[in-house]
Amino acid sequence: MNNRYDVIVIGGGPNGITIACYLAKCGLSVCVCEDRLECGGGFENAEPIPGFRIDPHATYLYGAAAPGFEQLELAKFGLRMVYYKTMFGSVTSDGEGVIGSRYNSEGMSNSLKRYSQNDVEVMETFNSTLMEHALEILRSIYWTPPPPVGVTLAREDLPWSKEFKKHVPIYDDAWNDMSTFELLDTILDTEFFKVGFAMGSWYNGPHPDWAGTGLFGLTCNILNMYSSGSPLGGTHSMIHALVRCALTHGATILTNTKVEEIIVEDGEAKGVILADDAPTRTKRIYADRAVISGVHIKDLFLNLVPSRHLDPVFIQGIRDISLKGGSLFVLSMITTEMPKFIGRAGEILSGTDYPSCVFLPSDDREIVLNQMRDVYSFNTHPIKKESIIIPIVNHDIFDKTRCPPGYHVFSPIYLQMPPPEYHVDGPEAVNKAQDEIVDVLLEAIRGVAPNITEKNIVATFVNTPYDSAFRNLGFVGGNWLGISQSEDQWYTARPMEELSRYRSPVHKLYLCNHTSYPGGLGLMAVPYNLMHILIEDLDLKPGGWWYPSPHYISEKEVTS
Amino acid sequence: MSLIDASVRPENPPVPRMPDELNADVVVIGGGPNGLILASYLARTGASVILLEKRYEVGGGLATEEVIFPLYYANTHATYHMMVDYMPVLSDFNMQRHGLMFMKPNAQTGIIFRDGSSILLSKMVSDSVDSIGRISAKDAKAFEKIIRTYTKMVDEILGPGTYYPPMPPVDLSVRLGRTEIGKALLEISEQSPMEIIDDLFTDPRVKALFLYISCMWGLDPWEGGLGFMVPLLICRGMNKCLCLGGSHKFSGTLSKEIVINKGLILENAEVTKIIVKDGKVEGVQTFDGRIIHAKTVASSLDPQSTFVRLVGEKNLPEDFLRSIKQWKWDKWSLFTVHCALEDEVRFKVNDRAIDQAFMNIIGFEDVDEVVHYLEGLKDGEMAGMCGHATTETLYDPTLTRINGKHVAFFQMLAPYNLKGGWEENQKKNEEEALKVWQSYAENLSDENVIAICSESPLDIERRISCMVNGSIKHGDYNPLQMGYFRPNDLCSSTSTPIAGLYLCGASVYPGGLIIGGPGYLAANTICEDLEIKKWWKMPPKIQRYVEEYIQ
Repeated sequence: MNNRYDVIVIGGGPNGITIACYLAKCGLSVCVCEDRLECGGGFENAEPIPGFRIDPHATYLYGAAAPGFEQLELAKFGLRMVYYKTMFGSVTSDGEGVIGSRYNSEGMSNSLKRYSQNDVEVMETFNSTLMEHALEILRSIYWTPPPPVGVTLAREDLPWSKEFKKHVPIYDDAWNDMSTFELLDTILDTEFFKVGFAMGSWYNGPHPDWAGTGLFGLTCNILNMYSSGSPLGGTHSMIHALVRCALTHGATILTNTKVEEIIVEDGEAKGVILADDAPTRTKRIYADRAVISGVHIKDLFLNLVPSRHLDPVFIQGIRDISLKGGSLFVLSMITTEMPKFIGRAGEILSGTDYPSCVFLPSDDREIVLNQMRDVYSFNTHPIKKESIIIPIVNHDIFDKTRCPPGYHVFSPIYLQMPPPEYHVDGPEAVNKAQDEIVDVLLEAIRGVAPNITEKNIVATFVNTPYDSAFRNLGFVGGNWLGISQSEDQWYTARPMEELSRYRSPVHKLYLCNHTSYPGGLGLMAVPYNLMHILIEDLDLKPGGWWYPSPHYISEKEVTS
Repeated sequence: MSLIDASVRPENPPVPRMPDELNADVVVIGGGPNGLILASYLARTGASVILLEKRYEVGGGLATEEVIFPLYYANTHATYHMMVDYMPVLSDFNMQRHGLMFMKPNAQTGIIFRDGSSILLSKMVSDSVDSIGRISAKDAKAFEKIIRTYTKMVDEILGPGTYYPPMPPVDLSVRLGRTEIGKALLEISEQSPMEIIDDLFTDPRVKALFLYISCMWGLDPWEGGLGFMVPLLICRGMNKCLCLGGSHKFSGTLSKEIVINKGLILENAEVTKIIVKDGKVEGVQTFDGRIIHAKTVASSLDPQSTFVRLVGEKNLPEDFLRSIKQWKWDKWSLFTVHCALEDEVRFKVNDRAIDQAFMNIIGFEDVDEVVHYLEGLKDGEMAGMCGHATTETLYDPTLTRINGKHVAFFQMLAPYNLKGGWEENQKKNEEEALKVWQSYAENLSDENVIAICSESPLDIERRISCMVNGSIKHGDYNPLQMGYFRPNDLCSSTSTPIAGLYLCGASVYPGGLIIGGPGYLAANTICEDLEIKKWWKMPPKIQRYVEEYIQ
């Protein structure tokens, strides 16, 4: 085994592996060091019972708009997608129901027309015009690095402003100030449809009540609708394709190889020191051109980079970064029956119109707002059935590899929690209340689908935020979006203003984790954005397969 | 399949699509150790190889999964790697560069009795002799003498012979009969495990240890014809390795070798048909309708899956089909209780070295109890909770995500057709097994147990569908389907009656238990048949075997 490479990547999650692919494809020698038994980070699947696949974290492909599929030729390495007829549904305690879907316009319109003709028309436009131009719009948001540090773009100069204006007549720059709920209120009528949409934002990004994040709350949902599916077999399949791409281009990937420290000399990253139990004879590996952190920003600067190389103001800034937002209690449930919803919902969400993700019971936005207060203001977990709205996800009616016939797997079923670090009753509070919380979730489901009872629940599995933080070192605070996605920590402020271009105070140390822009969801976006920076800093010559974002602004353009 | 199919196939998919038809020089069905080994060798010759695996992970019996969910992984199948010292794949590929490491602890196999006495077999012969001597000085001496013979048999004949094509029994007898050691091996082969052990040892506790080791993987204690497995299993039972990072790391590393050499691995790709036309293989079809054209197909699945299900009866000669349908599944399977623990297990035993043993046998007081237990299995009974226990994290802490915690299992030989059924009795058996385990241990209190789960033979079959009836070896070890007759005399050299179709799994010579034999032999046969230049040479140990015993 070598102990010298051009680049060392710390962490083999979706971001770490993707940047390894990109750089290996540029001809660099790359070594990825992954702590766990397998690469993949949040893109993982498990079978606690043989034959039954659960999703402890990531569950959908959100990033179909990513240039990476084409640039890295992932289909060549085995990536196969399953596309879902109906992605999303919203159900109330009164048995009202709607579905939302890219590939089921008819079903969507039929479900909405009972409630609002306006909404039918808006969603029809969504499915036609917006989907037609979703690629450019989404790429202008997610697959474009923020501007150079210190540069503030006028609202009309924001990349997505330009794209939205080109393709979406109703777009208004004022959307950039709104919360998701405010934005939805300007375009849709049906409350429980909006509540479902807003839940979609909250579980994938910003809370629907946070000012200035409404556009991204909306675009999370556009990402999901545009992709409308999951890799065959689960998100971990995508990691196999990425790993194999990296290997084919010459990368070295080491598993159960934890990095303990980044070697810094004269303000420059020189390599890494591996943990004592790494399965290698040599525990120091050197990087001639760059060390790239695929790990959480707090882990990086509070553990891996010795503090003598950083100043106290910077360190405090890192400590202050908020972990709120994606700490999820994940329930996985195996049943022998599909949920049969009460009332009209039962008619709409059935057969091949059954949606992959159902938000229930989407009775009232007040529930969402109160849930948020519990979790973010009071730092406690909701424990009453009336206080929650939850998503429940199914894949097996679309993907036959997920479980044997005669069974169904609902995984994940999520509930937002305070990060263990912030919980008012201590970090293990949620673990201790685990059984109670599962009962509340099952009660909520039974409230709208009374047929789901102990008689047809075969097994349940839980991973709490506290568990998640141990399973996956990238999930500090159990947060699978890394850090909060409020306006304070978004775009040019993610994770801190001086770090927003993926460079760090340590020369040759770069950031490639979901704690950078544009956050989580495994979009292959952070690595794509980082590539713009690396191509310049390291003077890389990728080849014809690479293309940058048309909205990219280089530091050179600014200074000239 | 689930009755609802709500997937769609958009005309302009957002993500570039893999073609519905692919081409390869060789298709390998099944990504277990043998399929992976075959694909690794072939990919490196420059042939285009596509490996197809039904599950979401390759590995087959090389599986390390988070069954004690969340936070604790267990090796759900192979834990004890017995042929690391002989497997050509390990010396032909420099897999250490990927961080693959096998560890062979000195303390190998213990047996613990209710009165706190014990015997511990170690890698070091002298330590083993010392330990047997605590129970019986006479048997210790007998062991010391016989182990020299057995070691020679294994090192010179049985070990390397595993990786050399089989020949008809008469031919093999003639060749082996030319040397003293070969003659001794032929003689011992006629005997049953019980006869061999009765001849060697006197103490019923010593006999219990050696009979369990000899029979646990599927031998009938009273059946003659496979006696050569006794020296093999005793010697290899003193040389078991564990794979650091979990057994799955071995399969992950083999995958890397395939991919680096431009091979394609597709998981979630169950093969539903081997396409045969005019007695020749043309390719395969997967469950989602994808067709892969190939003139050479190698199946690592069990013979009934390969021939009856995938090739189809109408494509097979009648006699051949009849012989395949007579294939016998494993005599018994395994019931395993997995635990996450605060502390590693310490036993109530007078030899502290036992706590360091890779494997400890508990539940048997003497050889009669072992025989009684094995016989009960045939009738669908488990005569008590008796078996072997291993604290996996003793030597490989990577299996738990929480430093300082432990993962351990208690594994029992178990019938697939349990009287009363597994669905009804699994929980009860799990509880009883824990109680027995606790009774032998000093510190296995309920407080020490963080979480517990179990896997029955049904689970084994569910996870790996060609392990029918939980057959971890894909089929019984008995004289009619071993050696030259595994799976039958037409296919034991990996070729089949269908042109271009090869076998490469545990149901072909030399068999299962992660020995990497069938895959390696198939690689050799296929390269010879297709006149592809082999990039590897016969390992020296095998060369010596051929020169001294076969030619």
